Amino acid sequence: MFDLKKYRKKSPWILHYNAGSCNGCDIEILAALSPKYDLERFGVINTGNPKQSDIFLVTGPVTYRSRERLVELYTQMPSPKVVVAVGSCTCTGGVFREMYNVEDGIDRYIPVDVYIPGCAVTPELIIDGVVQALDILENKTKELEDAKKLYKKPTEKEGVLNLRDSALKVGEDEED
Amino acid sequence: MIEYILIVLAPVFGGVLYGFERVVRARMQNRQGPPVLQPFYDMYKLIDKNSSIVHPMHIVLAILHFITLWAVVALMILGYNFLYVIFLHLLATIFIILAGFSVRSVYSHVGSNRELLAMLAYEPIFILIATGFYMINGSYDISLIRQEDTQILSMILLFAAFLLTVPLKLKKSPFDACEAHQEIVGGVEIEYSGIYFEFLYMAKWIEYVFVYMILLLFAGNNILLGVFLAIAVFLIVNLVDNSTSRVNIVQTIKIIMGIGLTLSCLNILGLSYV
Ligand code: SF4
Repeated sequence: MFDLKKYRKKSPWILHYNAGSCNGCDIEILAALSPKYDLERFGVINTGNPKQSDIFLVTGPVTYRSRERLVELYTQMPSPKVVVAVGSCTCTGGVFREMYNVEDGIDRYIPVDVYIPGCAVTPELIIDGVVQALDILENKTKELEDAKKLYKKPTEKEGVLNLRDSALKVGEDEED
Repeated sequence: MIEYILIVLAPVFGGVLYGFERVVRARMQNRQGPPVLQPFYDMYKLIDKNSSIVHPMHIVLAILHFITLWAVVALMILGYNFLYVIFLHLLATIFIILAGFSVRSVYSHVGSNRELLAMLAYEPIFILIATGFYMINGSYDISLIRQEDTQILSMILLFAAFLLTVPLKLKKSPFDACEAHQEIVGGVEIEYSGIYFEFLYMAKWIEYVFVYMILLLFAGNNILLGVFLAIAVFLIVNLVDNSTSRVNIVQTIKIIMGIGLTLSCLNILGLSYV
């Protein structure tokens, strides 16, 4: 029986999610997929469907509005999977660090495997990062790594459900 | 004996064709592209992944879709009745449409709707093609059609109509609205993951074999013409895929129904007066 694990490396399918970036890095990701840089030669397909992807490319510093979706997309992806943080603001918050509406990097919510710095990152760096992620993907287990739980119970006020602040802040515990 | 070997190998042929096509498309865009065996790497990877099930029937329908399509190709290789083959293929499509409607994802429903509309557009053309073969050869039997001389000149309009449906069947630009990657995230296949997506992925390969086998019927017993037609259509379809943008589903139906159906009806009329 041959080892199926080594084929993980040969067909990485990408899910790209914009967690509130300025679009600079998104454009660079598209450039990396375009004919000039040809990320497809590694077997990459940009699926856009979490259930069929292996690599989660995230751009942006995670805004309050996008963090639920971020965790949801992450948990919908079947293991083994790797997460690549593309751009300075995804790694640390970058130029948006300590602003009132951002969370300073995605690793507060989901485990990150590869950090790609740069504002905006260059397509070459993205390719390097993805290739490095492939090595990690090969050795991953099939267990789901924990993402942070985000939901508070929606608050109800005069019969109107308020879902808007249902995400927990970092470090905050769920009250009862 | 050789037929049975061909039947077993049909998905493999489809896979190689699909991989080869990705390379050709990449070369047309002046880039390197993935290896030819890429679809098989994808397959092994999908087997190795965890998978989630929405509900069991959803999975069963995907497997039925795959098996029915394989049966369609098997019957074509064995030379059965062309009309039956087309109806069996219709059944396979129905399975995948039902699967799309059986989950709650909106994208899945949109995909199913589009698949249904596409089916309405190409199915009459397929049936008219079968009718054309019947009028010329006096039989729907594929084995008989394969033995007769090629009649492509008297069926040239039907052939043109068939060419129109090829991009629709293979989900290629400009008629790839049923799948529309990123836009509706693959439509019916959105809720499948891991090894269950594998069945849909392989079904796509078999679809290739099916379409090119219909194409070969036009060549009759002339093998050289058949090879030429297959290569020419392969290149043309990929060139068109690379150089056009997606039209929406309503326009697709209008083009296929308007042009394709008219051409095939004209051809049938012509044949009935000869
Ligand atoms: S790293 Fe810079 S260029 Fe990239 S998304 Fe963040 S702010 Fe924009």
